[in-house]
Amino acid sequence: MMRRAEWVSLGKGLGFLSPWIFGFLLFTAIPVGLSFYYSLCDYSLLQAPLYIGLQNYRDLMADPVFWKVLVNTFKYAVMALPAGMVVSLGLALLLNAPIKGQAIYRTIIFLPSLVPTVASAMLWLWLFNAKLGLINTILRWFGIEGPGWLTMPQWAMPALAMMSLWGVGHTVVIYLAGLQDVPKDLYEAAELDGVGPLSRLRNVTLPMISPVIFFNLVMAIIGTLQVFAIPFIMTQGGPARATYFFTMYLYDNAFQYLKMGYASAMAWIQLVIILCLTGIAFWSSKRWVHYQGA
Amino acid sequence: MSTVPREVAEEAAGAAAAGLKDRAGVPHGSGSGSNGSGGGGAAYRPAGSRQGQQRLERALTHLGLLLISVGFLLPFLWMVSTSLKTLDKTMAFPPQFIPDPVVPMNYWTVLNSPKIDFPLFTRNTLIIAVLTIVGTVTSSAIVAYGFAKIKFRGRGVLFAILLSTMMIPFPVTMVSLFSLFRWLGDHTPVQWLGTFKPLWVPSFFGSAFNIFLLRQFFMTIPEELSEAARIDGCSEWGIFRRVIVPLAVPALTVVALFTFMGTWNDFLGPLVYLQRPEQYTLALGLQAFQSQHGGTEWHLLMAASVLVILPVIVLFFLAQKTFIQGIATTGIK
Amino acid sequence: MRVMRYLVIAVLLLLATGLLVFGPRANADRPKDRVVVSYWEKWTGNEAEQMKEIVNDFNATVGKEKGIYVEYLSMSNINQKTLVATAAGVPPDIAGLWDAQVAQFAAIDALEPLDDLAREHGIGEGYYKRVYWEACHYNGKLWALISTPAAVALHYNKRIFQENAAALRKAGLDPDGVPKTVEELDRYAEALDKLDARGRVDVAGYLPMEPGWFLVHTPYWFGGQLFDAEAQKFTADSPESVRAFTWVQSYSKRLGKDSMTEFRSGLGGFNSAQNAFLVGQVVMEQQGPWMANYIEDLAPKMNRRAFPKEQEKGMSVEERRRNYEWAAAPFPSAVPGLEKVTYTGFDVLVIPRGARHRKEAFEFIAYVNRQDVMEKLCALHCKNSPLTEVSEKFLREHPNPYIGVFEELAASPNAKPVPPVPIWPEVNEEMNNTIQQIYLLEKEPEPALREAQARLTEKWERFQALQRARGSTGVVAPGEGNGSEVRR
Repeated sequence: MMRRAEWVSLGKGLGFLSPWIFGFLLFTAIPVGLSFYYSLCDYSLLQAPLYIGLQNYRDLMADPVFWKVLVNTFKYAVMALPAGMVVSLGLALLLNAPIKGQAIYRTIIFLPSLVPTVASAMLWLWLFNAKLGLINTILRWFGIEGPGWLTMPQWAMPALAMMSLWGVGHTVVIYLAGLQDVPKDLYEAAELDGVGPLSRLRNVTLPMISPVIFFNLVMAIIGTLQVFAIPFIMTQGGPARATYFFTMYLYDNAFQYLKMGYASAMAWIQLVIILCLTGIAFWSSKRWVHYQGA
Repeated sequence: MSTVPREVAEEAAGAAAAGLKDRAGVPHGSGSGSNGSGGGGAAYRPAGSRQGQQRLERALTHLGLLLISVGFLLPFLWMVSTSLKTLDKTMAFPPQFIPDPVVPMNYWTVLNSPKIDFPLFTRNTLIIAVLTIVGTVTSSAIVAYGFAKIKFRGRGVLFAILLSTMMIPFPVTMVSLFSLFRWLGDHTPVQWLGTFKPLWVPSFFGSAFNIFLLRQFFMTIPEELSEAARIDGCSEWGIFRRVIVPLAVPALTVVALFTFMGTWNDFLGPLVYLQRPEQYTLALGLQAFQSQHGGTEWHLLMAASVLVILPVIVLFFLAQKTFIQGIATTGIK
Repeated sequence: MRVMRYLVIAVLLLLATGLLVFGPRANADRPKDRVVVSYWEKWTGNEAEQMKEIVNDFNATVGKEKGIYVEYLSMSNINQKTLVATAAGVPPDIAGLWDAQVAQFAAIDALEPLDDLAREHGIGEGYYKRVYWEACHYNGKLWALISTPAAVALHYNKRIFQENAAALRKAGLDPDGVPKTVEELDRYAEALDKLDARGRVDVAGYLPMEPGWFLVHTPYWFGGQLFDAEAQKFTADSPESVRAFTWVQSYSKRLGKDSMTEFRSGLGGFNSAQNAFLVGQVVMEQQGPWMANYIEDLAPKMNRRAFPKEQEKGMSVEERRRNYEWAAAPFPSAVPGLEKVTYTGFDVLVIPRGARHRKEAFEFIAYVNRQDVMEKLCALHCKNSPLTEVSEKFLREHPNPYIGVFEELAASPNAKPVPPVPIWPEVNEEMNNTIQQIYLLEKEPEPALREAQARLTEKWERFQALQRARGSTGVVAPGEGNGSEVRR
């Protein structure tokens, strides 16, 4: 039995939560449920859904393109995710040092994250151009003839991963924020103890910001597994499907081949994969994430 | 030390937030186990060498940042340089770094281009951005207050659900949201598809990321403040409006900025929900410069990109300290 | 500094508010007294402007007379936009799509059938060249009419042929002639290839993948096809198809895969002055008649070899041809006796289901299909005409002096369109990937095509099964519970 006061606070709480609860039901719960139903149907948006059971899932398992995009997406994640994590943390550490021009440096590093996806895709398309692009021009100064970055199957994926590093600004900002919260006296104590910079990083900074690292890791998992706009504009999945990613195939199925049911089944598989991976991240976090005062 | 950031910082944090920061400065419990190193052995070293080492560290940091910044800036410079070239000079081999001749007219051409109605698209983007910001900030703040300040049964479960919604990829709901909007259009007098509504209305029901961010911030506001107001006879809503919101201005600014940038750059949402070119946002409109057959007018495309980025860059430069401070005080943990 | 900061923010805010309040609104200039027909078209650039000219003509003449105003919008991602708008119940009245969408969109009830309207306007069989008329049909109904058609042919650089006359003669080939068979094409290509000091390709006589837009249709020139419409099945691994793609692969093998890939990545974009054909890096190309327009824009010299353009007025086609550095001829076939083979791609105008102004929309479509208007549009776009009857003036004054070649090809019994398969976009994707794997030497033609065939067959059978299932559960009839009713 709940006491009156509990009922009152429940009412108040739900009152404040009501916009989200309503929005959650309407814009998340119903669509998620619907999309699960669609994943069991043949559905083209224009005709009524036709129930076909697990056929879409069975077809997916037998669809080599599905496996191809899945492998591609993981390959990309393996290239872009760790690199992005390391680079963004490194940059944040540098940008946290109290030096002249900090504001300008911070702005410069964050700038790329402000560029609309379409614009940065176009810009990099131009930079990667085998003949007229900036990258190969610079390589030529050193006597290196750069590859056709986006035209050679073996180079297209690394090129995209490289490009993703340019946009780490968002993550850097979140790291920076985390670094502000590391108590100064811990550093001072460490310094008095004569601890070197590397050891300070390992023993003070990293443990203190491990929750932020964890947060960024989860966000990065979600983000990289959904990579879409950049390859969609730059390579359309080519050459020879080397940069054809999960969300792109999903989009093509939905809007090019009009197989909404098939696309929904893909979306559900994507959801399950992301949930599993973040689940693993959460599980492992117990070993390396330290919450202050917890 | 540059004087700019300090000034900005003070201003941004504001008196209230500064007070909070003091609180945050108090060392929390030492569950981190980071004090293990060193022990009691006093490593005494002459001050001079320590200063020298610091100076070296600083110089190295400077050098590193300088190199990296050049790397990060080069694409921009290339973009600006291309935007000032003539079309045939963009194709010149070897490529030119400094445009010759310099053609600032490209910008004028873009603004008047028949391919992309710049003023109209800017207006569309602004409409969506303003509505989304208003919606996200108000609704997320209200919901976050409920999660942070009111204890009730089931709060934990609901919060877990909230967090897990962040993991649902947009494509999962993309198709069915679309059907839903159509259904709403068919069964209510309000037409959804073919309007901006699918892009901004959901923001009025809170966004998980921002609710989370604000909840973390609200948690750091001392309970005593609310308590005092409650004794004065303030309702829960009154406490939220008169006590919490004024204190949360920096955090709300961050949410607003994040939302603005997110909307300004969004591609997939408008791609799916906007059909008529007259409704395009800037991010979507830029694609018009990419030609099917590879005859992209690079100089114009780059000029257009510069124009699209410019306001966001200015905004960020002005607000960068607020931005980082704001996130810092919200503390993502 | 603080003042500056506020000033900048104030200016930004002011600008934004100004734009919000006083900024432009969409569609301020629609005429009030006319029915507004919205028309979405996929073209961008010159082609879009040229179609706009036709729209303006219509609005000023027939449209004015009948109280119709066509509002023309050119956009990217048109398939998806049209489909989504149709599903949303807010489709355009006319959409300019590609040939492959006829069957695809018709199969899911996304289009309005046009048979009755066409009959009313006296448009019927015989008015069009067979290949185009048939390809506008699916399941016995008319779903689209042509906006501009094309046929592909071999384009070759006469000047470079002459410059290499000695090499060609040495190979037993005629520098004034043109390859008639695929075997001859290969020999011409080899004689015209040029390697640089490192032994890498500098100039390619011919490269099937450059630009390779029609690679998937290569079996047509080998007497085969990808889809057997009579048997209703795919034939991706037929002997003809294997031969066709083995031939494509032979170019990678002869020139070296790396050399070829490097060469290709160094080529300029199609619509640029660095276009490989225009700069002579590729001597022969498979292209449509529009090539003449691109040459005129990007390398006008190639269209003025002997005399200034003005002198061409009043000349016969044969005389005019002397003024061009290049020429077009039917693409050689690999099968003796199989002549005038071509792939006929084309653009269509359709009325999406639920369009609010079906009749008025068709007025415009019919206008575009009037012989004089069609010939004007096709001349502007530099394409052949889809109509059976072609005026002498069209042939004589067409910007492409070789348009006769394309007219003949399009009228030939060996002209083949995109297969009438609703799942064609998927098939095309699958095939293109297979072909890439073949010419990048990742797979051998036969096993690769056998695999492709298996996948296509499976997709096709699945599609057919679903169609049957839908038939028994009832396909939703137009206008029923699908939000396509007229609204607003």
